Order: sequence, then structure tokens, then C-alpha cells
Amino acid sequence: MQAYDGELGAAVARAQEGDEAAFAVAYRIVQPGLLGYLRGLVGNDAEDVASDAWLEIARDLGRFKGDGAGFRGWTATIARHRALDHLRRQKVRPRATALENDVLDLPGPHSTYEQAVESLATQHALQLVARLPRDQAEAVLLRVVVGLDGPAAARVLGKRPGAVRTAAHRGLKRLARLLGGEGVTDEGPQTLGESR
Amino acid sequence: MNGDDRQPSGGGDVGMGGQQGDSTPSGRPFARPGADAPQDFPDFPTGASSVAVDVLLASVRAAHVDSEREARAVAAFREAREQAAHTARTRRRDDWRPHAERRVGRSLRATLTALLASVTLGGVAVAAIGVSSGGDGDGEGNGRGGPSSSAPEAPSATPSESAGAAASAPGASRSDGPSDHPSQAQDTEAHCRAYEKAEGRGKAMEATAWRHLVDAAGGEANVRAYCAGQLSESDGDGKGQEPEQGQEPGQEQEPGQEQEPGRGQANSASPPSASSAVGSTGSTGGTGGTGGTVGAGDPAASTRAATPETGKPKKD
Repeated sequence: MQAYDGELGAAVARAQEGDEAAFAVAYRIVQPGLLGYLRGLVGNDAEDVASDAWLEIARDLGRFKGDGAGFRGWTATIARHRALDHLRRQKVRPRATALENDVLDLPGPHSTYEQAVESLATQHALQLVARLPRDQAEAVLLRVVVGLDGPAAARVLGKRPGAVRTAAHRGLKRLARLLGGEGVTDEGPQTLGESR
Repeated sequence: MNGDDRQPSGGGDVGMGGQQGDSTPSGRPFARPGADAPQDFPDFPTGASSVAVDVLLASVRAAHVDSEREARAVAAFREAREQAAHTARTRRRDDWRPHAERRVGRSLRATLTALLASVTLGGVAVAAIGVSSGGDGDGEGNGRGGPSSSAPEAPSATPSESAGAAASAPGASRSDGPSDHPSQAQDTEAHCRAYEKAEGRGKAMEATAWRHLVDAAGGEANVRAYCAGQLSESDGDGKGQEPEQGQEPGQEQEPGQEQEPGRGQANSASPPSASSAVGSTGSTGGTGGTGGTVGAGDPAASTRAATPETGKPKKD
């Protein structure tokens, strides 16, 4: 996803000059990873929290300084603050419903087959991520899902890079272990791009 | 990005599958699960697991973007643009430029700030040293001679000395040697007045200033009497300044400076340069005090005052 960083940086620069279409481009590049991160943080409320975050991003875009990678970090910071606000509010007024068994978005009636499969896969993946300690889960999501480098992830989390690196490392190890427990290891030679 | 991050520990737990997804408490998606997978199954293929983790995390990313929400974000962008919100100032948390770039800007600013601060504080320190060293030199020099005795003890006993001191204060430059006497006397006075108020209360008596006062009085029991003397003397002093000045016209500014040229010069010239002020005023004040003024002072008063005076000005 970092392959998009150049494109993202250009889009952000144009958006800062007032280009609305460029802002939409930046949204489309950033939103998937941001939403994935927020799903890990707030579960089903991720879409709403992301929308709140985007309102702030749209408002404060003129303040931002940096390139595409920086924009990912900046937006992740804003989204994280929104998510923590949301969790605080929830703590005050707990909702006894959907989150009880951590069910994530089930495929809606209008979903295509692919969307339904994706939704279930996402749900499954998030259930695994949710079993990590919070610092590990956040580090993994920021590094792998949002696509931040170590220092940027550390800045988002307000921690030292070394601590975040350790947390990500442990989180990935533990995820692998959890997956191993499920027998997913049989998947064999499937490869992903090495861009990450 | 991090090939080494993906190395699994080699621990695989066959029994974990059954627990899948049943241990996450609500609302806290990252709560630590109750049981960790034990690590005693080293049969776990490394490469495959990292791929599996990649696949797993790839599915966390949202594959499609809700166009309605996108439109809302774009509308918010448009609104902010129309309200000229996009000209807002960049806060530190908005600055995500690469490290070096940011650091250059920041370090330049930090350097300037530090420079300014050091100059300012340095100036303050220099000024403070200049003033206190003026007191220092005088205290040492005059403690042995006459004039310093006029500070705590003898304004009335040696009227001519105190007149000289008082006269030079308004007339000559502020940092002229003898001009510090009135302020020292006023310090003692102020301490006495404060002592009256704070007597017996709390830790006030442990403070440095109090110890000096006690030293000057020659013991805690004597402070009250000492202060009484001081206050009445200073009252008399204040009234008598003008006539005394007239009495001894020869003691005014000019002679005062000529009498001890070394001290006067060092004190008035040195405040801008701190270290030289400390060194030179200390020595010249000392010699000037002993040599130039020992005959003029009241010997009894000077010996009494010598002990407290030497320690005092440094810490004040």
C-alpha cells in the first residue's frame, strides 16, 4: 500500500490547494486501512468513528504538513483520538448489545458473494487480532493494515519506536501462533507482494 | 517492511482452534485473552505462518469504500474550504514532514530560542553578579575598616562615615562602592521588621537571611535587642541625612571616590563583565577597605561588625 504514497501525497497537496476531487482520491486511498484499524479499535462502530475522523480531517487539512506517508500517520492519529473518545463514551454509557459477542458487520442483503466472503474473513481476522493485548494489536494494525513505518506508528501511539517495534513483533508472533492453532498453516505457498 | 517481525516463535497449539472467538469481551476488543497459547509445539512452519498472517491482516483492510460516507467527507472538505478553515496554522501534531526536514526547521528555531534565553539569563546573571560583587567587595573591605560598621552598627557612632556613604549614593554612580551601605543597612532593617512579624513561626528562622541576622546580632537571644537598636538608628539616620551631608562637604562624592580609587573604579566599571567584577572588586575592595578607611572608622564597632559582615553578602 505504500506504493500509493506518492499518489497520495500528490492528491493531498492538490486537496490542500482546494481540489475537491483530489480530496476524494486521498479518501479512497486512506480509508480502507484506516477503517481496518478502527475496526480493531471499536469494532462495529468503526464506520461511524471513521466518518467523524474524516470530518476533522477535512476541516484541518490546511494545517497538515507532510507527504503521503505523513498523511497516513496524521489521519491515523486523528482517527485514534476519535476512537478513544468513542470508547470513553461507551464506558460511561455501555451498550449491552452487539459488542457482547464481538460480532462484526455481517454480510448485508445487498452484498455480493465476494463481499460476503470478505466480511466473514474480516470478522475472523479481527477476532484473532482482538485476542492480542491492546498495544500489540494496535502496533500490528498500524504497521500492517494502515501501512505506517515504525517511527510513524510510534508517533501515532505516543510511544517510543522501540516499544512499538517490540509490540508489533510480539503481536505478529502471537497471531501466527493463533493461526497455527487453527491449522491455517496448510495454506502453503500463497504469496503476497513484498511491498510491505 | 519487517521480515524479522514475522518470525513466529515456533510455538503452535493444536488445541487453540476450539477456543476461537469465544474469549473476547465486549467493548474492549483488545482485552488480553485469559489463556495464552503454550509454546511447546515447535512444529510450526515459519514461512507459511507469516504468509497466513499477511493474508489475515489483509482482510482487515476494508476492500470497498462506502461512497455515501465519502461524499459526506468531501462535503465537509468543501465547507471548510469555503470558510477558509484551510488557512489555519500548522500545529506541531500536524507536522508530519520527514524527520530531517522538520528537525532543521525546529532546530533552527530552538537554537535561536536557546541563544536568546542564554543571552537574557546571562545578562541577568551578570547584572546580579555585578551588584552582589559590589556588596561583596565592600563587605570584605569595609568589614575591617570603618565604613562597613556604619551598615549594621554605627551610622550614628560615626556620622561622618555614614554621611559619606549616604551622600555618594544619590550623587555618584549606582555601583560606586560606598553606595551599597544604605542598602545593606536597609536589608538588616527589613530583616528585623520581618523578624518581628515572623518570630516564632514555622521555619522562617531557619532561612539563610535569618541566620545572618542572628549572626549579626550575636545570638538568637540578642536579635530583638539588636533589631530595636537597628530600627531606631535607621530612623535617626533617615532624618539626619541632609544635615550630615552638609556637615562634611569634603566627604561627598569626589573625595569618596578619590579616597579609594581602586575600589570605586572597579565597582563602577565592572558590572558588565561578571568574572572580572568578582575578582577585582574583591581584592581592591579589601585593600581599599583596610588601607584607606581603617583610621576613619570606629574601631569598636568595626570589630563587632566584622564577623557577621564577611559571611553575609555572598549569600544574600
